[in-house]
Amino acid sequence: MSRAPLSRACAALLRRDLVLAWRQRGDIALPVLYALIVATLFPFALGPDLALLQRIAGGVVLLTVLLAMLLALDGLFRGDLEDGSLEQLVLSPQPLAPMLGMKILAHWLTTALPLIVIAPLLASLLHLPAAAMPALLLALLLATPLVSLLGAVLVALTAGTRRSGMLLALMLLPLCVPVMIFAAGALAAAQQGLPWTAPIAWLGAALALAVVLAPLACAAALRIALDA
Amino acid sequence: MTATAPATPLLEARALRFHRQDEPVFGPLDFRLHAGELTLIEGDNGSGKTTLMRLLTGLLRTEHGELLWRGEPLRHERCAGEVVFLGHQLGLKAELSPRENLRVAIGLYGRREGPDIDAALARVGLAGYGDEAVRRLSAGQKKRAALARLLLVPAVLWLLDEPYANLDRTGIELVNRLLEAHVAAGGAALVTSHGAVSFHGGAPQRIRMHG
Repeated sequence: MSRAPLSRACAALLRRDLVLAWRQRGDIALPVLYALIVATLFPFALGPDLALLQRIAGGVVLLTVLLAMLLALDGLFRGDLEDGSLEQLVLSPQPLAPMLGMKILAHWLTTALPLIVIAPLLASLLHLPAAAMPALLLALLLATPLVSLLGAVLVALTAGTRRSGMLLALMLLPLCVPVMIFAAGALAAAQQGLPWTAPIAWLGAALALAVVLAPLACAAALRIALDA
Repeated sequence: MTATAPATPLLEARALRFHRQDEPVFGPLDFRLHAGELTLIEGDNGSGKTTLMRLLTGLLRTEHGELLWRGEPLRHERCAGEVVFLGHQLGLKAELSPRENLRVAIGLYGRREGPDIDAALARVGLAGYGDEAVRRLSAGQKKRAALARLLLVPAVLWLLDEPYANLDRTGIELVNRLLEAHVAAGGAALVTSHGAVSFHGGAPQRIRMHG
């Protein structure tokens, strides 16, 4: 008999979730489509004022990407909960937190990464100055995993309840506010030609903390959800 | 079978009871399960068989009575890897094939010496269905795919909740044969059922639950 090493278990789970996402790629396309539609409609709603668009472009792209992520967040553990995969995962001889970390990573790769890839396109639709583009991408690269991790904890907390979508949105709002403030702060500074590393560093610090703590919190919350 | 059983039972329940919102679900139950033994849990619908199973896996917390694993209080870390659970929800991903599902199970649980995935699929009668999406299989075939997991992962104790549901006559025979082989190899199994089940390998211990 051979015990499964943690690295192989992580790889197996990550691979499974990526293959599953690829087989249901219509679900991945939805947030991307949503973000494209919102960013395209903004200039029509506000009028073709170049100065105005340039000023709000960074914030609009950030907000669009974060909201598009929320569309897919709800389903993070739902499928596994419904078909019993989650029970099998919890009962496996692997530590639960890193396993859930892998699930969150797969979720981020399949929902947030496509959004980051189209973010430059969205930004140029809104005439974001090219000088602010590195700040935007860096802010997104740090803010989106942070939202994924924070969101995952809340999804795990509400996993046992029916119609958890509303509750999830309400609970996630206050957690998104600081993420948004730091990301937008970096962008605003970059657009004015000021140094923008401080808010980015804050996002990085928060991300480092969340990477360690969020999977642990998720594991505890899901054990409670299954104990019912 | 009992002659070779060690002194400490694999799993022991002492005055095990379960209440849901102060409403008694079952109990008190006392039983011992040694390696090389098979125990049937019988009871009508709603008598708490599945609840008992979830208690034994550690998914539900034991609040009244005691559950011992090899003589020590049962906790997930202590029995992890030695117990495999097959419940009503089979834990198969509908979009993946049986082969892919089994590969994930091996990745998580480890691999038992013996049959590989193809051999296990053939043994449960799914030869040729290995690459079909589970979504397209019948309910009985899904059950068989989940049973193949039992053959591949290393576990001493099998907890099977209604393994006979959805299976045809040959499927029921298959479950019985798998159980006999597992018990003969020194494993133990707890099986819930609401129907009459016959084993060839002697009379199993029976736990009767009152609904």
